[in-house]
Amino acid sequence: MLKLFGAVMVLCACGYAGFSMARNYQQRPKELRCLQSALQMLETEISYGATPLPDALEQVARRSESSVAGLFALTREQLLNGEGITAREAWDEALKQFYRSSAIKAGDAAVLKALGAGLGISDREDQVKHLRLAREQLKIETAKAEEEAVRNVKLYNYLGFLGGLTIVLILI
Amino acid sequence: MNAVNVVFNNKEKAGAVQGFPKPLDMVINVLPTHLRKKIRQLQPDVLARLEELRLRQNRPLVVGLSDGDVFLQREGGLTKSPERAYIVDADDIQRTTQLVSNSSVYALEEELKNGYITIPGGHRVGITGKVVAEHGRVKTIKYISGFNIRISRQVLGAADEVLKDLISPQGEVYHTMLISPPRCGKTTLLRDIVRQLSNGIPGLNFPGTTVAVVDERSEIAGCHRGIPQQDVGVRTDVLDACPKAEGMMMLLRSMSPRVIATDEIGRMEDVEALEEVLNAGVKVLTTVHGSSLEELKRRPAIQKLLKLQVIERLVFLDRSRGAGTIKMVMDGITYRPLGVKRC
Repeated sequence: MLKLFGAVMVLCACGYAGFSMARNYQQRPKELRCLQSALQMLETEISYGATPLPDALEQVARRSESSVAGLFALTREQLLNGEGITAREAWDEALKQFYRSSAIKAGDAAVLKALGAGLGISDREDQVKHLRLAREQLKIETAKAEEEAVRNVKLYNYLGFLGGLTIVLILI
Repeated sequence: MNAVNVVFNNKEKAGAVQGFPKPLDMVINVLPTHLRKKIRQLQPDVLARLEELRLRQNRPLVVGLSDGDVFLQREGGLTKSPERAYIVDADDIQRTTQLVSNSSVYALEEELKNGYITIPGGHRVGITGKVVAEHGRVKTIKYISGFNIRISRQVLGAADEVLKDLISPQGEVYHTMLISPPRCGKTTLLRDIVRQLSNGIPGLNFPGTTVAVVDERSEIAGCHRGIPQQDVGVRTDVLDACPKAEGMMMLLRSMSPRVIATDEIGRMEDVEALEEVLNAGVKVLTTVHGSSLEELKRRPAIQKLLKLQVIERLVFLDRSRGAGTIKMVMDGITYRPLGVKRC
């Protein structure tokens, strides 16, 4: 009886680990696509509306998917707290928190970090260039992420479960 | 829980700004935090005399007081010696740029073309750096390296002394020109005249009247996003950052004002637009740079305006008793002083 209970536990744990790995692979391209469209929105706000950055970030946060909205909302919050920090510092801080809770990889975060370094400090044309560059890079990362997802989602879904089964068999 | 928080916050705020003049708060919010602290620690009488703060990269931070300028000392306080002065570094300039622009330099194309930004509170921040020109016209400023933060103080009642000379016995406003060199309080006086004409002057039995202001340099009303930050009166319409000549025509057509006020007439086109206004039966309030009638007459545009013989009052200002000293009020038709010359 105890053996059976242990076996089920191992199976569940390994299965869950596999699923969550798989979900990460599924989630990453989704988030990257959301980030791309959020940056597209930011570009529109900046280039056509010349909207001040805090307002533009608010707009973007409100209209983006909840998975990425936090990055923009938090940057805005940091900017408006009156501590005299720069847009770059606000963005970096928000990115740090966003990175912890999201499925993006270090490479994706590096693209965003580079974008933050130029945020708000130059004229419109230059801002648009920065945003386009970041979007292009995210597009490449998205394509890669999708490929990985196709390859890995099924793999990890099965691997977790089968791995658990193997352990159970060995232990029994 | 919320209520407690609010009380606590209020207390904290009250503590932070204790004895610190409120308009200054908005000014120093464009500075990096460590500089805000240094300015906050200055003596109240120094703060009362504060006129401008000048930041130039790699040079001392200059504090302009009404009676001359001094440097901010490295360890706080003020000093006359450049060696002990606080040196503005690249980070200060970068932070100030971001704070002045609300982290949105791209939204300030027009402002950068003009070389200054008006911040909340109506204060002006002048900007220098490397200018990018296109076809001989300024496009923007790159590599911003210097700021002049000018504290604008509204002096309610600045016009009390002259108003009686600017309104006829029939209760009509005279066409008026305020004349002085820069930094003598022309704009402050103009603003207060506008405010009082707009609100009405009980002492002179003058009911309020509709005043329209063309504020090309955002100095009179100190608009931030189109909203006047200075008290310009209840019946005042402001066209912010609008070229004077065009603005006067726009207001004439659209707002049916009784008085049109504008700052710093100098170009021929301004004078031509003024003529139009004068002929439309609208009263004109304006300012011009200069220190004497002879000087004004040497400038072709102003000479043309004076030749029309329509400006009824000329008010001369200087700094003999501090900014805003009214030196003389002159009848613009006969060129005879009205008030006794006060020196």
